[in-house]
Amino acid sequence: MTTWAVDSGIESSLREIREGIKEGRFPARAFNDQQIFDLEQQRLFPRTWCFLAHESEIPSPGDYVTRYIGNNNIIVARDEQGQIHANLNMCRHRGNVMCKSEMGNASHFRCSYHGWTYKNSGELIGVPYMKEGYEGRLKRKDWGLVNVRIDTYAGLVFGCLDPRTPSLEEYLGGFQFYLDLYLKQGEAGSEVHGPPDHWVADTDWKICAENFAGDGYHTPVAHQFGFNLGYFPSSGSTHSQGWAASIPGRGHGIGLGHSPNFPPFGGFPEELTAEMKRTLSPAQIEVFSKVRTAVGTVFPNLSFLMQPFSLVPGETGVRFVTMRLYHPVGPGRMEMYSWCLVPRGASQEYKDEAYKAYTLAFGQAGTFEQDDFENWTKVTRSAKSTMVKNIDFPYIMGMGSERDPDFPGPGHVVRPYVNDTNFRNLWGRWADYLVGDVEP
Amino acid sequence: MTSTQESRVDRETVLDITEFLYREALALDERRFRDWLDFLAEDIRYEVPVRVTREGLADWELAPTSRIFDDTKGTLEVRVRRLETDFAWAEQPPSRTRHFVTNVVVDRTETDGEYLASSNVFIYRSRGDDPNPSLYSLFRKDTIRRKGDGWELARRWAALDQALINAHNMSIFI
Repeated sequence: MTTWAVDSGIESSLREIREGIKEGRFPARAFNDQQIFDLEQQRLFPRTWCFLAHESEIPSPGDYVTRYIGNNNIIVARDEQGQIHANLNMCRHRGNVMCKSEMGNASHFRCSYHGWTYKNSGELIGVPYMKEGYEGRLKRKDWGLVNVRIDTYAGLVFGCLDPRTPSLEEYLGGFQFYLDLYLKQGEAGSEVHGPPDHWVADTDWKICAENFAGDGYHTPVAHQFGFNLGYFPSSGSTHSQGWAASIPGRGHGIGLGHSPNFPPFGGFPEELTAEMKRTLSPAQIEVFSKVRTAVGTVFPNLSFLMQPFSLVPGETGVRFVTMRLYHPVGPGRMEMYSWCLVPRGASQEYKDEAYKAYTLAFGQAGTFEQDDFENWTKVTRSAKSTMVKNIDFPYIMGMGSERDPDFPGPGHVVRPYVNDTNFRNLWGRWADYLVGDVEP
Repeated sequence: MTSTQESRVDRETVLDITEFLYREALALDERRFRDWLDFLAEDIRYEVPVRVTREGLADWELAPTSRIFDDTKGTLEVRVRRLETDFAWAEQPPSRTRHFVTNVVVDRTETDGEYLASSNVFIYRSRGDDPNPSLYSLFRKDTIRRKGDGWELARRWAALDQALINAHNMSIFI
């Protein structure tokens, strides 16, 4: 049992939590707690690589979107030379919000308070009454927008507030092998189908991060209608089959669901499959061939899901990819951003079909999505009750299991699909950050 | 902007179409989803675009390629079939909804027997013992088609007023 000390005792509680994770337990209270939320804002989000945008959301010079890292609103913009920049969405003069839109196109941002004007790269170029007011005391180069370090992988733009955090490549630590299943579907890569669904829910972001780190266990029950009516090509008797792959010490994890009768690359058009076989490595092709569902989380709060959905019961259907970002806005409260990713080089017909499957399954009105948030709001609510204060949940599936020696992908890969191994890795990393024990 | 004598739709048709919309809303609020499907034309397109907060001069505010709903009669039937199972958890126990349909304006279209009905819709949705309801304010543009002695809904296009939607899911019809 993890005892929960209030206020000053939080540091020792965190160490206890971290030890407990190794033994397969995690405290319920962590899913709705003010102190935990505050510590995440101070010690986690400012130190990790946080997803900001997909490059295809800002394809042209001047395009921008506004997103968050922790509670910081960030402008992600493409400058006139095509370079992407991220800056705090705040005027350096008196702190007004620069961009009040979620997306748009602008070569310059002009503050609506006193009129300071910046290039979309963040450089300060215009100050009203510069001579009369500042009399030469203000150096424009010292007062640009607060810049945020960025790095990209296969179209994903991440930002990091801590200069000591290693490169994105090192941070991902081999998880790229699995991300390619979503991001390198064909030579041209992936793109967003359009702006994301965006909604708010009384749900803790960590519940979503865990679920998408490979919770194959919930699917036959939480989404029972899909199995029952035949829209989801898996069956209760074989659903546990597959793998749980995680990158030890990094927090990233992915569940790879396997159906014995599901055809390799099923649900993709033939020409796309042929292209994927050229762009992916032999090991990736071997993994992809066996996978019906791939559901993974990039630590801390970015997830992906690839899944087939069929309107004709029993058929393979169409595969779609969703990418989602869980933006924490308070203890037990979050904003969800959910995109549909499509292969950029695929036919419009396939893109539209995949997007339709997404809206019907995993958009805000999606039939699978609806049930998830119904459960998650209830989990969040339970986590706040006083009796739950010192209650742990079991995370003991797959404890001590050996790596599958025949699996060609990187990381710690265990069977079956139904497993807690990825979650122990996820929460272990989370606890490292909250304790403050992360190597720069 | 006043409608001219030629284009004005006769009062009886306006009343008829308004009542059709009220009865359709009543079927939803009484959770008679099979009855509700009968209000819909076989070729219905049921569409709710994603709204994005943008500058006033931006070329669009309702995303041309993103939809919350993008349904046909077939997929709406799938949604109803799902609600008829014992494990559509999002609606167990069911939401209590109330659709308030107001500001109905009926215009002619270029197609004989088809009318464009614009309306403001406010949906109140209460779940379980949560005292905080989900509130959805939206603008609807419906195509209402004459069918025998009555009417059918040939197209529904609805735009929510919130860009960041204040509801944990959208498990109801709008």
